[in-house]
Amino acid sequence: MNREQRVTEIFVEVADSLIDDFDLIDFLQQLSVRCMELINVAAVGILLADQNDILQTMAASDEHTRLLELFATQHDQGPCVECYKSGAPRTNINLTDPQVTSRWPQFAPRAAETGFVAANALPLRLRGRVIGTLALFQTDPDPLSDQDITLAQALADIATIALLQQRTAANSEVERAQLQHALTSRIVLEQVKGILAERWHVSVDEAFTAFRSYARAHQLQLARLARDIADNAFDTTLIPPPGRPVPKV
Amino acid sequence: MVEVLRLLQLDNWLQDMDGVAAAGAGALGVDGLAVSLVTEADSTELLWCSDATTRRFEDLQLTLGEGPGPDAVRTGALVWVPDLAQVRHARWPALAMEAPDLDARAVFCFPMGIGAIRVGVLTAVRRTPGPLTGEQADDALILASALTARCLGSGEPRPDAPEPAGSQHSLQHAVVHQATGMLSVQLSLPLSQALLRLRAHAYSSGRSITDISQEVVDRRLRLDPGGHGNGMPPTVADKD
Repeated sequence: MNREQRVTEIFVEVADSLIDDFDLIDFLQQLSVRCMELINVAAVGILLADQNDILQTMAASDEHTRLLELFATQHDQGPCVECYKSGAPRTNINLTDPQVTSRWPQFAPRAAETGFVAANALPLRLRGRVIGTLALFQTDPDPLSDQDITLAQALADIATIALLQQRTAANSEVERAQLQHALTSRIVLEQVKGILAERWHVSVDEAFTAFRSYARAHQLQLARLARDIADNAFDTTLIPPPGRPVPKV
Repeated sequence: MVEVLRLLQLDNWLQDMDGVAAAGAGALGVDGLAVSLVTEADSTELLWCSDATTRRFEDLQLTLGEGPGPDAVRTGALVWVPDLAQVRHARWPALAMEAPDLDARAVFCFPMGIGAIRVGVLTAVRRTPGPLTGEQADDALILASALTARCLGSGEPRPDAPEPAGSQHSLQHAVVHQATGMLSVQLSLPLSQALLRLRAHAYSSGRSITDISQEVVDRRLRLDPGGHGNGMPPTVADKD
């Protein structure tokens, strides 16, 4: 299948999801994966600014904690912060350029450790405001084409629409309520990864995979199921735990 | 709002809650503010309240067990009621009966908490209907997050105290939340107390909460269930 067909297919899939009572976190995660495949980059993250203007990771193409932590390193530096603060795309940043690395002393070494050599950050725009960023990391230095960037920006806009589409319990009319609820849901999910990892004696990443498979198989929203687990309102023995135990260090 | 946040940073912030409330209400363009905290039994109790109108509204919600405040606590989502008179009767039937006699006309409830940790709710009340502006809503969210950090970090009077448990910086790290979840299971503690244990350990070992969390998640560190007083609030109901 060529890229054009693939793009069409993905947009149809996205539109289908958005008209249902969809699962925001799972949606954004799958959007990150699609974006990674379409643009042909190594990793994609969707970050949302909180009330203190700090970027929080909402979803990533790969939920591994190492990648989440790399995104989190960008609290005051890195391509996403610069994109968020300026509201302008920051594309084809060479992460091996000493001028760049010296500007981001915490972020750049961690990005290099992960194998990333180039980065791009596009704004999540909402009526003249920027509410977060879409981050694209590359392990090869080939610059993204203008077409790639236009497509990535369209996917960023879809992420914004999804964030505002989600139904919160009380009030769908207030944008801020929705963004705040999205951030809270993400934190609940991380807390629940820890709870399940400890109950099952597995890594948090394995715990998440088992948790997500169960939620998908039973058509439960990740955020809702996570909250029920955190509130002890769901019997977690119903979820098949991952088989492989983690070697004790 | 900057002034309000400065007041909150003072060591004696709880003594000057009236000052915080007055400055906060002014900044948000409302008549009153209240903060209720979640108790162990999952009900709430009023920590402080700036004026009679707000107190009456809070008391009524507590008595009836329904309203925007309880909804905000339960769902962890902001509840926005620009005109109490326009609320569907079925949403809060008992409250709707009382609403015409109340001075409160607009109520906005901002949940205080970190993920599944429920700390309380910040309630802003106005005697005239109408929404908050976007900027006011942003300011209220900032105030609610500062209060959350303060409430989770209180009882730490040392001058070189680390950042409060719920400070914005540590919130960004997935590992901190993951470690909180793991510790809550290891030590049979509620999430809120697991977070405090993490923070107390970071403080006593002189390391960042992110580093400590990473060690917990990697299973290189286990905290002992007994705990050791380290500016840590006494644990309650943690025996299984």
